[in-house]
Amino acid sequence: MREEIERIFPGLKTDVYSITSPRTPSYNCVAWAVGQVETWWWPDPMEQAFWPSEIPRRETIDVFIQAFGTLGYVLCATAVVEPGFEKIAIYVTSATKPTHVARQLPNGTWTSKLGKLEDIEHATLDGLNGSPYGSVALFMRRPIQQQTS
Amino acid sequence: MSYAVPGRRTDYRLLTEESYVPADPQSPDRPLLTGSSQLLEARLHYYMPISRQRQSVAERFRELVGIWKAGTAPLSSATEMATHPAYQQIIGLGRDAVPLLLRELQREPDHWFWALKAITGVDPVEPRQRGQIREMAEAWLRWAREQGLGR
Repeated sequence: MREEIERIFPGLKTDVYSITSPRTPSYNCVAWAVGQVETWWWPDPMEQAFWPSEIPRRETIDVFIQAFGTLGYVLCATAVVEPGFEKIAIYVTSATKPTHVARQLPNGTWTSKLGKLEDIEHATLDGLNGSPYGSVALFMRRPIQQQTS
Repeated sequence: MSYAVPGRRTDYRLLTEESYVPADPQSPDRPLLTGSSQLLEARLHYYMPISRQRQSVAERFRELVGIWKAGTAPLSSATEMATHPAYQQIIGLGRDAVPLLLRELQREPDHWFWALKAITGVDPVEPRQRGQIREMAEAWLRWAREQGLGR
């Protein structure tokens, strides 16, 4: 499992990370970021994945900001841990197309569902930089008491 | 008898379909293959290009499924999954692929819903079920039974 993950994300070879779930196609990084494990979230125009009905189905950063906004997230400047808030980091390609979302844990590390692969906890956001996720474009936060699970 | 050495200039005038045997690159004076089945395989390889070899729909489907699963495993984008070349080729297999997709969905639920919808022109998944893989798979398998496609 680690070999496959590190082949896809070579940056993890030098990062501290652990695998925290079995692999499954049942949920993805967006669902995991908001605490869900039964649904695949994505703004696909074919309307096969879940997406908030009031938000357009387009793969743009603005659409992702709007979608997370429906769950109480607002933009914030940094990844620094802020007591009382949980943060997410949105990765985009060089063409600013969203690819991945990671959620910050209370200890400042991050948790990610890697597509249909496993969940991992990773010490830094840099470990997932590069293809296929690109790099972090922005951070959002919401009060922890609004957490859905 | 003439032997052809990969990467080495060969006088093809000496090669005929009856006499041609590939040579061992380490020992050019010896044939690479000696068994009759290996000879047959070698002849097929050299005289029947991949583009002319016949592959069943089921074999092609399995091959494309493997390519698609490997190529999309780390992706979250349902759009990228559905526009992956292997996925598009599966859609291109047409109605022959429907029972194969349904069996695959039953064996290991995955994001085959767009392919099924694209081929059949129907969508038995209710809007409230979108994104819920197991429920979507159940909806498609129920539809298959209703259509007499189930086992």
